[in-house]
Amino acid sequence: MEQKYEEEIQMLQQEIEMLEAEQEETLRSIFIEHGDRLQRELKSVYEERGGAQKHTLSKLITEVRELEKKLRRQTEINGIAINECFVKTLHKSERKLVQQLRLAGHCSVLLFQVEFAVTEIQEDDALLRRVTELNIVVDGVDFKDFSAFVSRVEDTKDLLLFFRTLRTFSERSEERRQTFQHFQEKYPDVVSLPEGCRSELMIIRSPQLPGISMTIFWKIDVSMEGVVKPSLELLLKMPDQAREFDTKKVMENGSDYFQSLLRVLGAEASIEGLIRTVCL
Amino acid sequence: METMEQGVLGHLMALEREGMGQQDQHESQRLEMLKARAVTLRAKRDQLKHQTDVVKILKDKISTDLPLDDDAAAAGGFTELQKSLLTAWRMQLKDLQRAHHLIGGYDLVECKEGKSVCVSFHTAFEGVYLETYNMELDLTRTVQISRHNIPPSFPLESFAKQILQKDLKAFLQTLSQNLNALAARRRQVCLLKELVGSVEVMESNQLCNILVLMCTAQSESPKAVLCTLEYADLTQCLPTRVRIECEDKTLSQSPQWKKNQSLLLESPAHTAVLTMRRMGSIA
Repeated sequence: MEQKYEEEIQMLQQEIEMLEAEQEETLRSIFIEHGDRLQRELKSVYEERGGAQKHTLSKLITEVRELEKKLRRQTEINGIAINECFVKTLHKSERKLVQQLRLAGHCSVLLFQVEFAVTEIQEDDALLRRVTELNIVVDGVDFKDFSAFVSRVEDTKDLLLFFRTLRTFSERSEERRQTFQHFQEKYPDVVSLPEGCRSELMIIRSPQLPGISMTIFWKIDVSMEGVVKPSLELLLKMPDQAREFDTKKVMENGSDYFQSLLRVLGAEASIEGLIRTVCL
Repeated sequence: METMEQGVLGHLMALEREGMGQQDQHESQRLEMLKARAVTLRAKRDQLKHQTDVVKILKDKISTDLPLDDDAAAAGGFTELQKSLLTAWRMQLKDLQRAHHLIGGYDLVECKEGKSVCVSFHTAFEGVYLETYNMELDLTRTVQISRHNIPPSFPLESFAKQILQKDLKAFLQTLSQNLNALAARRRQVCLLKELVGSVEVMESNQLCNILVLMCTAQSESPKAVLCTLEYADLTQCLPTRVRIECEDKTLSQSPQWKKNQSLLLESPAHTAVLTMRRMGSIA
């Protein structure tokens, strides 16, 4: 008699686990296929003013609102926006969880698509977690800047390093863009950005001295270990006739002088100094 | 005689009956419990089945692009669909939160009605998640660290003084970078001790900014080689300088050991040492 009940209980527990998993999968698949439609329907649910309806759902609505608020906070503090998130549970048992995640999003203007698999094993009092697969695609950045780093990070499965480096790189790029844009707005006759404010190049030319130009290369290197290093270089161009007058050897030594200036004043002040020289 | 036996036997039989009766009582109590549990689970299973069916209906409606609110069935049916919608959205939000957590986000949580926040620093190395450090930041007047579990050898105060007041995000980023590098260096020492029995870790410290290893070089007569790895850049998990020392100067100056020196500079310590062993350079 007892045994019959025990068997039934076990069977019911298994059924419940299965149903919960099935519901999760169906819910997730709704999102994968119909995310947009779902968002629209949700808007109408929020705005619904039907009394009784609202009451039964209000707890759920509050919970969802709280989760949305938390997510906005995470996005803000992490500097990473995740627009798409697909999760597939490959294995779930009492002690082990294996999931595949596919994320797409952006960090400022840099777009990323990351696919990875993560395995979690509960061992006594510790949770062991590791990334077992990693594929990364980055867009919005000159691929040559990043590709060596991305390959290395895919090999070492260092998911966290990827996002830390992406954030740092994005910040340094933003600093460069702001500085370039600032100077172009302040000195529109002298400063030009032939490849746009997000590029590496800034050219300084005086309208009174044609043929003489100063080109600043502001590179942002990312090493294979994820070290982000901005480096600035100056290239001077002078027409041949002018070179005869170059007794102080400005052409030869200009780039070195610029490096010294950088060390003392930093990027913004050094560039401003250069611009001023042609504004006389 | 007979009466006594009867008496004793009768007594024994009575005791037996009583015993069985108690067992019966236990049995029936347990049976009741199991029965009740089965009933509860059956109800839960049925409720789940119903919910799952409703979700499937929702999915079909969305797939076939039907409007969700023209259900001929009572408004109750519509509420079910709305509930499923919200449940689907809640699942997605939880997934997104988990994603942020897995990619090393700070998991910022507001505490004490916004007067303070708690952040977590997740560390990982070569795909393996390591320690998580937590910190509570008090926001009442200026931003201040009120509680944390970061090891004391870590220069937390110095970072706080330099960056915290100016730029919270930069502070978090710097900490994350340094803590990850520390966790990575520490993990390399652990792996060295675990994987490579023949190499002895002579010296290491809390910040893992110096590592001294004793290897046995394979040559005609095995010789002891001391490798000193200095990590002057604490944001990195690779050394900035590697010194090779051996009594036999020709060995430490040999091209093979110059190569080993490069290996130790360019790859994680345990990887370099395993390679050196595989190449037969050390025991």
